[in-house]
This record gives sequence, C-alpha cells and structure tokens, in this order.
Amino acid sequence: MLSDFLQFLFSGLTTGATFALVALGFTIIYNASHVINFAQGEFLMIGGMGTVMFAAAGMPLLLAIAAAVALAVIAGMAIEKFAIERAGQADTIPLIIITIGASLFLRGLAQYFWGKSYHAVPAFSGDEPINILGATLLPQSLWVLGSMLILVCLLAWFFERTLSGKAMLAVAANKDAAQMVGISPRFVLLLAFALSAALGAIAGVMAAPITLTSYDIGIMLGLKGFVAAVLGGLGSAFGAVAGGLLLGLMEAMTAGYVSSDYKDAVPFVLVLLVLFFMPGGLFGAKSTARV
Amino acid sequence: MRNWILSGRAGLLLLAVVLALAPLGFGNPYHYDIAIHVLINAIVAVGLNLLVGYAGQVSLGHAGFFGLGAYVTGILSAHYGWHTLLSIPMALVVVAVLAFAVARPILRLSGHYLAMATLGLGILITIVLRTEGWLTGGPDGMIVPPIEILGWQLFGEAYWYALMAALLVLAVWLALNLIDSPVGRALRAVHGSDVAAQVAGVNTTRYKVLIFVVSAVFAALTGALTAHYSGFITPDLGGFMRSIEFVTMVVLGGMASTFGAIVGALVLTLLPQLLTGFDELEMVVFGAVLMAVIIFMPRGLVPSLRTLIGRFLR
Amino acid sequence: MTHLLETSNLTKTFGGVHAVADLSFGVEAGAIQAIIGPNGAGKTTLINLLTGIYTPSAGDVRIDGRDTRGLPPHRLAGLGLSRTFQNLQICMNMSALENVMVGRHLRMNRSFTAALLRLPALRRGDADCRRRAAELMDFVGLGDLTERDADTLSYGALKRLEIARALASEPKLLLLDEPAAGLNANETAAIETLIRRVAELGITVILVEHDMKLVMAISDRILVLDHGKQLAIGTPAEVRADPAVISAYLGAA
Ligand SMILES: Nc1ncnc2c1ncn2[C@@H]1O[C@H](COP(=O)(O)OP(=O)(O)OP(=O)(O)O)[C@@H](O)[C@H]1O
Ligand SMILES: [Mg+2]
Repeated sequence: MLSDFLQFLFSGLTTGATFALVALGFTIIYNASHVINFAQGEFLMIGGMGTVMFAAAGMPLLLAIAAAVALAVIAGMAIEKFAIERAGQADTIPLIIITIGASLFLRGLAQYFWGKSYHAVPAFSGDEPINILGATLLPQSLWVLGSMLILVCLLAWFFERTLSGKAMLAVAANKDAAQMVGISPRFVLLLAFALSAALGAIAGVMAAPITLTSYDIGIMLGLKGFVAAVLGGLGSAFGAVAGGLLLGLMEAMTAGYVSSDYKDAVPFVLVLLVLFFMPGGLFGAKSTARV
Repeated sequence: MRNWILSGRAGLLLLAVVLALAPLGFGNPYHYDIAIHVLINAIVAVGLNLLVGYAGQVSLGHAGFFGLGAYVTGILSAHYGWHTLLSIPMALVVVAVLAFAVARPILRLSGHYLAMATLGLGILITIVLRTEGWLTGGPDGMIVPPIEILGWQLFGEAYWYALMAALLVLAVWLALNLIDSPVGRALRAVHGSDVAAQVAGVNTTRYKVLIFVVSAVFAALTGALTAHYSGFITPDLGGFMRSIEFVTMVVLGGMASTFGAIVGALVLTLLPQLLTGFDELEMVVFGAVLMAVIIFMPRGLVPSLRTLIGRFLR
Repeated sequence: MTHLLETSNLTKTFGGVHAVADLSFGVEAGAIQAIIGPNGAGKTTLINLLTGIYTPSAGDVRIDGRDTRGLPPHRLAGLGLSRTFQNLQICMNMSALENVMVGRHLRMNRSFTAALLRLPALRRGDADCRRRAAELMDFVGLGDLTERDADTLSYGALKRLEIARALASEPKLLLLDEPAAGLNANETAAIETLIRRVAELGITVILVEHDMKLVMAISDRILVLDHGKQLAIGTPAEVRADPAVISAYLGAA
C-alpha cells in the first residue's frame, strides 16, 4: 500500500517537475509581455531531440546537451525577434495564433530534419532503480527533480540579485514606469524568450530518458505547462512551480488509483474546476477591476 | 447605396450568386469535395465569429462542439438505428445543453483564463471520444450511415454542395440580422466595454451565454452533417488543432466581419491543398504563413478591403 | 421632501483602505446634487456603489425607497439609473450612433428570435431607435457626427457621446463622473448648459466634478467627501462657508 503510494508520488513529482519548468517558462514570458507562448512545448522537444541528434552525430553527451539548449535559445529569440516584436500591440487572440504558427514552424522543421520516429536518450547515471520502502525510484528522476530545484534557485538569484533580473521584474510590475527609468522592454522580452527557451530545453533533456522523445512531444507538454501556469495563477512564479507539481501528482495518483485511460484528462478537469471556483487561479491576486 | 453595400445585404446577394455559379467551374467530384469542406468550415466560422469577433469572447475549444455533434448523430444512427432526421436534431440538443451548462462559469473568465478554459473543454471532449471506444470506436473512428429521407439517400457531391451552400447562405443571413439588432448591438457592446453595456441595462452574462450556445450549435450542426457526408469520423474532428483552425479563420478573415469569416475559411481550407507541393515541409510553410498573415494584416483581410471600398465610395 | 436616492452607512473598503466610509445622505428628486472632494476622496467609488458596479462592504442604497442590495448594474438601469464614466467607456468597435443606440437597450424589443428573423416590428423599432439616438446626439451637440465610427471622435466629443448614451435610456437619475475633466473653458461652458437642459427635462443629476466654478454655478446641493467620509453637505453657499471645507480645501490655513 505504502509502496504503491510512494511509487505514484515519485513518478508524479518527476513529471510535475517537468511541468513546473514549462509553466515557469510561460510565466516569465507572460510577465514580460502578457503573451502566452504556445510554442513553449517545442523548446522541450528541441532540448530532447537536439540532444539525441547531436549525440548521434558523435558529440559527447554534455556537449550535445549544451548544443541542444543553445539551439532552443536561438529558436526562442528568433520567435521573439521575427514574430512577437513585429506583431507590436496585437490582441490576445492574434498573439495566440502567432505563437501557434511558430510552434507549427518549429515542429515542422524538427520533423523534416530529424524525422518522425521516437528516440531514447540514455539515462545520465544508469538505469539501476533505487529501492525506497518497496517503491523504486529511477536515478533519472533525481536528475529531473534536482535540476528543477537548481534552476528555481538560479532563477530566484537571477531575479533578486542581477540587474537584468530586476529589470524584468520592473517591467512585469509596471511597463511604462520601467521604460521611464530607462529599461528597454524589448531587451527584457528578448531575455524572457531566451530564458524560457533554456528552461524548457533543459526540462526536455532531463525528462527525455524517462519519457522518450519525438518531434511532436511539444504539443501536450506545452498545453499541460499552460495548465500548470494557469492553475497557479498567471504571472506567479511560485504558482507555476506549485501548479506544475500539483498537476504531476494528480496525474500520477489518478493513473495509479483510478484509471490510466483518463490520465491526460486530469489537467483539464483540474483547471476547469479550479477556474470555476477561483477565476484567478490558486495563487492569483484577488482584485476588484477598477472602473 | 453606400450604406447598402457596406451593410452586408449586397454581400449576401453576391455570396448567393457566387455559390450558385461556382459549380460551373468544378471539373470533378474532388473539386466539389473541397468546396464542401470550405462551406463546412465557413458555417462554423460564421457562428464562431459571433462569439469571438462580435462579443469578444475567445474560444479555443469550438472543434469540441463540432466533434461532439458529429459523434452524437453518428452513434445514434449507426448503433441505435435512429433516423437521421432525429439523430441530427438530437446532436444539436446535446451540444446546446452541454454548452449552456458550462457557459456560465466559463464566461465569467476573461482573457487567457477564458482561452484556457475553452481549450480544456474542447480537449476533454476529444479525450472522451477517444477513450470510450465501445461507443465511439476509439482513435480509429467509426462509420456513419448516410442521410436518408423517405427511402431516398442524400448521396453525391452535387447534392451535398447544394445543401451546404444553402445552409451557409442561411447562416450568413441569420448572422447579419442578429448583428444589426438590439441583441447584436448589446453583444458588440459587451466586447467594446463590458461595464458600459451593463449600466446600459444589458445583462452581459446572459448575452454571453446565449451567443456561446448559438455558436456551439452552429458548430454542432455542421459537425453532424459532416459526419453523414463523409461517412467516417475520428476524434480528431474535435481536436485542439481544429479549434485553432476555426479561430484562425475568424481572425484571418477579419474579426467582427461575417464575410471575413467566410474568406478566412476559404483561405485556410485551400492553403493545405496548395501546400501539398511542399510535401515534408508542409507544416513549416503553414506555420510561417499563419504567422506572416497575422503579423502583416492584424485586422484581417475583409476589414482592410472594406476600408478601401468605403474610401472609394465616399 | 422626497428622496429619489438614499444611502445609509454606506461603506466600501479595499484591503485596508476605506474608500467610502459610513456615508448617509439623500438626493432629492429633480435636484442637481454635486459630489466634490480631493483626488482619492472616494467619489468614483461612491458612484460605482450607487450603480451596482461594486457591492458595498456595509450599509445600503435605496432608490425610491427600494433596497437595491444585490442588484446587478443592469437591474439598476431598469430602475432608472444611468451614468457616465470618468475614464471613457466607449465601445470603440461601434459607430458613434450605435453607442447611443446601445443606451436604449432596455426600451427595445430584445427578443432573440425576432432579431434572427429580422421581423418587421423589430425593424420599425430599430428605425425609431436610430432616429431618437440621432436626436440625442444633436441634443448633446454631436449632430453632425452620427455617421462616424466612435474611434474617430475627439476626446471632447466622446465625453458628450457618453452623456447621449446615458440619456438614451430615458433615466430618472443621471450620474456624471467628471464630465468636464480635460475640457477647455468653452467646452466646459457647453457642458454646463447641457447639464442644465438635462435637469430641465426633470432628470435628477448627480455630478462628480473638480471644476468648482461649474459646481458652484449649477448645483442645488453639494456633498463634500474627504477620505471616504462626509465632510459637509448643503447648498453651495453653506458648503462654501463651512469651516471644515475651508480648512480642507485651503490646506493648513
Ligand atoms: N478597484 C479598486 N481596487 C482597489 N482600490 C481602489 C479601487 N477603486 C478605488 N480604490 C481606492 O479607493 C480610493 C478612492 O478612489 P476613487 O477612485 O473613488 O477616488 P476619486 O474621489 O474618484 O478620485 P479622483 O478625483 O482622482 O477621481 C483610492 O484610495 C483608490 O486607490
Ligand atoms: Mg474619480
């Protein structure tokens, strides 16, 4: 009984950590521009698939990972430069369509150059499961959870201690005021895309040994990351991480205790229920709209 | 004269004429088939435009209603032997009831939260369609019988074209009527300023719910007919990408323009046909075109054109 | 003396801020009642409470003796309330005339089927509404702009358009939130005439305004707010002579 529960807990936390990183990516871009980047999932795909392809081309794993992350960052910055920036002050709906166009573009390129088949990335420190109270934990899960923790700490440091990080917070809080004190919203936006692309790609690499990877994994991962970000309350970094972990746990518990048929339905049922009762998400600020 | 041209009545006439004459240019059944798909998408887009373009409420899940409409009539007629003249109305009722049930809590949301909720609803519908294989045939889809009226089967592209063309003209007529009425102005006011609409006495929630259900029923009717037309349906009919395509048609043609929705449907349905030459790169080109059009024509095709004509007639 | 509108202990708090605190006052039918006070005094919040945009934290509002607690804005509109906004709330996706026509919503045939089928009765009603809306635009001085899209109008014109829209419902009580803000002296004078003409129609007016010359000239009574609380209430002459008002307005004098 306990071992079952632990098993579900481990797998839930592992996928949850991945969702959390995707959700953080959504949050960073949202805070910089109020854009919801539907291409977020493609960064995970580029991370995973890039690593596979670069490694297959003979690069050592670490270098392949670095190259894949760099590729994702370039893709992210390109989306910002050539699409988001050009769109100017477009409305919510056109912006959604633009980022979906971008995601199709990236997915199409991946399919063209890397093919349609599924690939496995070798686990970083072997496949020997660790036994904890009757449940097994893959070493790769530790990599996923560890990298999430490290990235969250790094982000916290970045936003609190560095000039660029503070500039991003300033833009999130009040764009006009930030511009007045000399912060360039364009620079912040570019940085936001680079940062969330990197986050996504790393999440994609870390999860690839567990989930397999292919050109089209970005769709569902992106949508679930969006769900996690909304669950937590758009714009809240804490909410994004909490939302991601909650989502992973709920999925794993449902698959384990109820039925795995409806595992993919869990995020959407959850987010609808939460929004029905808390229209601003779990950790979103409650406020009265000013008139 | 100028008012008449800009009011859309002239457009309705033009649409009817074009639809009547178009078959002269069709060389083979394949042309008819494409035209029918354009019409199908156009009807959905005209309905969705009432919600998204006029009332300003985004829905990223409308394909869900389309797919549900297709499956309800498909299941009732194929598995339970219902007459299609009963199973199709039943599909509309089921979708209308579902849309009405969720509309209130969903439409309390706005912006990205509304996008998320509608997206989630659409995906949930497809997940159910995919998972309940005993009823729906699962991911592989199911076979749907043709429409039969008094022993006569609705069969052949020409008949279907005529039916869909008539439906589109009807849909456009209804939409134009609605928009130019107190109800339509109230809906547009909800978009322009929700609070101004409220203090003018508009029960904004009620109107949002109303138009959500109406646009869902447009989608359901088209979905149901599509099921009987193509004879075979899969859960992808209601998938996320289909929802995105519908919204894109509305935005591409021009939000809050009924004829824009039709043009958007035309362009977006024909585009993949034109892109088949790109083979493996089809998705790449499609994505690029999508981005380019929205970036360079944020107002959409028809409003841009209309501004030109209006200027010309002044 | 009949009060068209009455509040008792009306209070609204945002977090810790008492935007409106324990207000009890009445507005006579047919009067022009001004509400003044420094920035952030709670004037707009009060208007929002009266029109149902905000729900009170405590206290209540009565219109014609009827408790309005829990009524949403569109129901209050049905009781004869109408208003304009300090920050323009114009529907920029519609024509100027259509904005005014929306104001007449409650007096229209709102049947959905009639709209879909464009029944003759509805068409006649619409034509009538169009004519009245054009008359109202003329009344507020926008007679030659009826064909224009709202987003092509100047700020001053939009301010009047809001008044025309608010009048379209044929209200008993019109609430104006800073109708003269941002206008020049000429335009302000025109607004003053306009408000007088509205009052002559028998419509009770609640006027929030910073322009003291305007307020003193046309108000029957003035309510002075400060930090959400009532500082004074009375005729212009009384308020002008009130020591509390003088010290608040003339600072630490
Ligand atoms: N929706 C809201 N959420 C939070 N605080 C609010 C809200 N609306 C108003 N307030 C606060 O309530 C107080 C009163 O604001 P209000 O807008 O009513 O003032 P006002 O008298 O209309 O000022 P002004 O002359 O500048 O228009 C202010 O402190 C304001 O910050
Ligand atoms: Mg104010």
